[in-house]
Amino acid sequence: MIKNLINKIKEFDTAEDKERRSSKLYGKAALYNTPNQITEAAAVVAGSGYKKFDVYTPYPLHGMDTAMGMGAPKIGYVSFILGITGTSLALLMMIWMSTIDYPNIIGGKPFFGLPAGIPITFESTVLLCGIATVLGLLVLFSKMPKLNSPLNDTDFMKHVTSDKYGLVIEADDEKYIESDVLKLFADTKAYEVQDIYFRESNLTTKTPLFDKKFTGAIIGTAILTAVVSYFTLNYVLYDVVPFDWMRQQGRIDSQSKSDFFPNKSGMREPVTGTVARGFMPYEYAGMPDSAVKLLANPVPVTKKSLERGQDRYNIYCSPCHGYFGDGDGRMRDQFPKPPSLHTEKAKNWKDGNFFHVMTNGQNVMPSYAEQVSKDDRWAIVNYIRALQRAKDAGETDLEKAK
Amino acid sequence: MSLDATYTKEIPLVEGGVSFKDIDQVIIEPTNTKPTKGWWIAFLMSLTALTIGGVSLGLTIYYGIGMWGNNQPVGWAFGIINFVFWIGIGHAGTLISAILYLFRQKWRTGIARFAEAMTIFAVMTAGIFPIVHTGRPWLAGYLLPLPNMNGVWVNFYSPLLWDVFAVSTYFTISFLFWGIGLIPDLATMRDRTTSKIKKTIYSVLSLGWTNSNRNWSNYERAYLILAGISTPLVLSVHSIVSFDFAVSVIPGWHTTIFPPYFVAGAIFSGFGMVSTILIIVRKIFNLQHIITINHLETMNKILLATGMMVGYAYGMEFFIAWYSGNTFEQFVFINRAFGPYAWSYWIMVSCNVIFPQLFWFKKIRRSIPITMVLVLLVNVGMWFERFVIIVTSLHRDFLPSSWAMFTPTLTDLGLLLGSFGFFFTFLLLFLKTLPLVSISEVKAVMEGAQPTVHPHPHSNGKHNSH
Amino acid sequence: MDYNKKPLPPVVGKIGFGLLGVGLLLMILAFVVDTKRAYFDYLWMYMFLVSIGAGSLALVALEYLVGATWSTPFRRISEFLASLIPLLVILVIPLIFGMHDLFHWTHESTLASDPLLQAKEPYLNVQFFLIRTAIILFIWVLFYFLFTRNSMKQDISGDPLLTKQSIKFSAVFAILFIFTITFIAIDWMMTLEYHWFSTMFGVYYFAGTIVAAFAAATFCSVMLNENGYLVSKIKNNNYYSFATLLFGFNVFWAYIGFSQYMLIWYADIPEETFWVMMRMKGSWSYFSIGLIFLHFVIPFLALLPRSSKVKPKLLVVMSVWLLLAHAYDLYWIIMPSYFTEGFVFGWSELGFLMFAFGLIITVFKIRAAKTNLVPVRDPKLEAGLNFHLN
Repeated sequence: MIKNLINKIKEFDTAEDKERRSSKLYGKAALYNTPNQITEAAAVVAGSGYKKFDVYTPYPLHGMDTAMGMGAPKIGYVSFILGITGTSLALLMMIWMSTIDYPNIIGGKPFFGLPAGIPITFESTVLLCGIATVLGLLVLFSKMPKLNSPLNDTDFMKHVTSDKYGLVIEADDEKYIESDVLKLFADTKAYEVQDIYFRESNLTTKTPLFDKKFTGAIIGTAILTAVVSYFTLNYVLYDVVPFDWMRQQGRIDSQSKSDFFPNKSGMREPVTGTVARGFMPYEYAGMPDSAVKLLANPVPVTKKSLERGQDRYNIYCSPCHGYFGDGDGRMRDQFPKPPSLHTEKAKNWKDGNFFHVMTNGQNVMPSYAEQVSKDDRWAIVNYIRALQRAKDAGETDLEKAK
Repeated sequence: MSLDATYTKEIPLVEGGVSFKDIDQVIIEPTNTKPTKGWWIAFLMSLTALTIGGVSLGLTIYYGIGMWGNNQPVGWAFGIINFVFWIGIGHAGTLISAILYLFRQKWRTGIARFAEAMTIFAVMTAGIFPIVHTGRPWLAGYLLPLPNMNGVWVNFYSPLLWDVFAVSTYFTISFLFWGIGLIPDLATMRDRTTSKIKKTIYSVLSLGWTNSNRNWSNYERAYLILAGISTPLVLSVHSIVSFDFAVSVIPGWHTTIFPPYFVAGAIFSGFGMVSTILIIVRKIFNLQHIITINHLETMNKILLATGMMVGYAYGMEFFIAWYSGNTFEQFVFINRAFGPYAWSYWIMVSCNVIFPQLFWFKKIRRSIPITMVLVLLVNVGMWFERFVIIVTSLHRDFLPSSWAMFTPTLTDLGLLLGSFGFFFTFLLLFLKTLPLVSISEVKAVMEGAQPTVHPHPHSNGKHNSH
Repeated sequence: MDYNKKPLPPVVGKIGFGLLGVGLLLMILAFVVDTKRAYFDYLWMYMFLVSIGAGSLALVALEYLVGATWSTPFRRISEFLASLIPLLVILVIPLIFGMHDLFHWTHESTLASDPLLQAKEPYLNVQFFLIRTAIILFIWVLFYFLFTRNSMKQDISGDPLLTKQSIKFSAVFAILFIFTITFIAIDWMMTLEYHWFSTMFGVYYFAGTIVAAFAAATFCSVMLNENGYLVSKIKNNNYYSFATLLFGFNVFWAYIGFSQYMLIWYADIPEETFWVMMRMKGSWSYFSIGLIFLHFVIPFLALLPRSSKVKPKLLVVMSVWLLLAHAYDLYWIIMPSYFTEGFVFGWSELGFLMFAFGLIITVFKIRAAKTNLVPVRDPKLEAGLNFHLN
């Protein structure tokens, strides 16, 4: 029986292949015809104490893991760990971006709402878990790519990727003794046994990853791509529509002509009889007396309104009137000096009087109605009153303030 | 799982008593032979459609989306319809490859590879639309939360952003799933081919896979995990697509049943597309004994079931719109069924709910010509479902003065045609370059492929099999 | 086939009767002390029994419909649990008397003053409501008898044609079930707050029902099998299927629940949000958060690892857990309409829960005494016993 098998050992490599193979034995390979034979054989090989052996089948066989005495696959741990990494990274990313780095209120909701975060959290979990599973399978557990496996391009491999079931016991297994292995194969009804030799290249070549030319080519390509895309986008295509960052737009600038509208004006006029929101016309324009008489200050004197008034005053009034209303603003040498706000006349003015001047303008002072809203103008009036009072402060005021 | 008439034995999945070698032969053959005339005609037609689509796309990108028929108030139309339609088509692939895998439906092996490939191409097709829809697709990078010179981040409340995550994840995972499945088959092809160039390509692509059981063991577990995560993924993707509409307050869009309703619709339309193409492919590539009439019948049953789920959602929406007492809700649904777009509504209802009822009859389920007609109608009906949801909800909004009708422009139609061209071009190339049925999976479910003994490690002579 | 019929141990009957008796006493007491509260508790208990009864019948139909073989050795258990269906017809009677306490829309004064209710009147009126309930219960009872009759007959004849007939029944029942479960959910639970509406509500209750019915089936199957009342061959592979499906159904429930909540939360329309706000008031907010953890997070983590899916003890614990979680879920749906300020769980609620469990156990025990626990001559049984993963 054994002798028969030995005679049957074939010279399976082509002449060319043979040249490329060394004389160092990788292992002995047996081929079987049926799934039951190979399962039995695997159980026997595992039971006989061999460690470095493997079964090769065209498709996964049920129960083969048990027959070979293998433990449960551990790839699930990789998937799980990377999966929960994905969950936490997504949550942390969203919380950091939307509550810490760039908080924004959207639709009246909190900066970060968990229900709205679930979809992205879930997708990130799946993405990382999936990639980890595939990479874990290929790189970690199957040690791929293994293009230089001694089994590649052998007759044995051509059978087990089609319709036969193979078993290989490696020559460097501790228990490897040729006659024992052959006997075992014969007992388990192998129909053919082959020797598998290492190739020359397996024994000599280093991994190409650290080859200077290879790494150089990769880095070179990366730099070239980066430089080319940078110049293309920023110089070559810079003025070309549509890559010009919207610098050419078909918009109509204010005050310019347009052939689109019948009156050839690019600007639109409000519909007759309407007023733009917040632009109620001032009813006492040019009528200071009635303004003084009829206008009452609607803004109460509060800390908030005074602060608002101070803020607006410092922006719009102080350039001419000065920070304290003395008429010594920063524009004093380039522009007519306004009168002080602390004269008796100004102190006796009614609130409406100030408001009218701000809204309507007076002498060289233009109207500020466009720049300062109605309520803000009243707030400025309050602030001017506060300035006037502050100029008059006496010793007793300090006591009161305490 | 199909059982025979006595309910004791499974119907063999592969008919005609073929051997493993025959399986290799018949599946690999299309990649080795020169394309037939029929293939060339189909390919040229796809390329023509693709060219028309390409021109439309170019016009859209150059002149902007003003080239489309979108108007006020129909601000969303063909772009999003096509996106949802194609994403939906993709779902059948994942359902077949992942969900049926988890349910151990062995019949899936015959059609899984093809359906997965379809998923990938459908998602690629779908992906074009949202990117073009942004108006300046070359700035699509801003859709991702990447650090940028403006110091701003994306809006995590936007369902459109969820789409970005969902679709890209879906594409990646489907691609990995498909790629993993291809590795053992590429190894088989590597060892079968005689051409040196092909051998090099297959060797590199199969990454030196050796069919070792120590690898199979992890491979099967990894496949199970991928199936396990793809199943909720496929639910989430179309749910998120439905959120694009349902989180708004537009009557006709905001309704809580949208997520499962969209998922059912997606599977329904996907199966329609799978059947449509498989009926032709199995004939052309002589795969009738691998993709059998039993496969088609099972798919028809699934079409019937998912079609009725969609019908349930149509009914529920209508009922609750009435029940809510909300006049705006009521108006939208009355307008859908009896307004100016009533024709599209009734196309949707008849193609998706009424005609598939014919699948109750076993004779019709097993008749290829009738199936072909019905599944084509399903494709049409499901496109119109998205049209109905999107256009009819928008065209008569809260302000009657701005009501308007939507008319697609030539560019719109060109893009729709082009999307089919894009999809079929890839599909036809796939059919001639890679095995369209999974060789190793089909072998594993053939009769007599699995061992009947389950021994534990033992030294020779002592048998303890059970 | 080495099935020998053994009677269930007497302790099962004792537990069942004990729970039933104590529960009944507490129920009567509850009606005496606080009738309105008792009606709400009763509705809660009734919907739980509907979940188990109708859900189990749906599982039986599902097995026929998809041609599953792994579950055939356990189909009888779901059939036994479905025996609650005829009782549902009797148990519904007290509820009809309690409609005035339960449903605001039945009040004449409400109808007169509420235009929204007037708009719903063609659907929401007592006569039509009762007709609907009657039709739904009739359909369930009818199919319950059709399925069990076929199954019993097959125990004697082993005729595969009976399976074929049951498959046809299942196709019809599947459609009817979706509609009946939707409308029983809308009628008996959604109309408690008759202004509120959600197209998902029927699907939400359906998802919960399937979890509960499957959990009940899992518990009974694993307990009986571990103690040797079924066929001895059944091993891990079938347990794995139980665990996976339990896990899957529960994730589906969470998906439906999340989708419904998220859409209401996001759109923020007052006519929808008030229902959620009722469940955020006072201590109800803790109850709602508890629902997420008890019904989803904890079972999810417990059933996720592959190794845990073949542990019978864990399966038993998780199936009881999910049964209680479903009761919790129903409490969350129903009771905020009564306990508006915060949740209360007193002896009255406990009594109704005990009665429900007592009834399920007793019904199971009575049915199991007469019938084989395994469909001994079902043609699919052999395939189910030889079932292997992959």
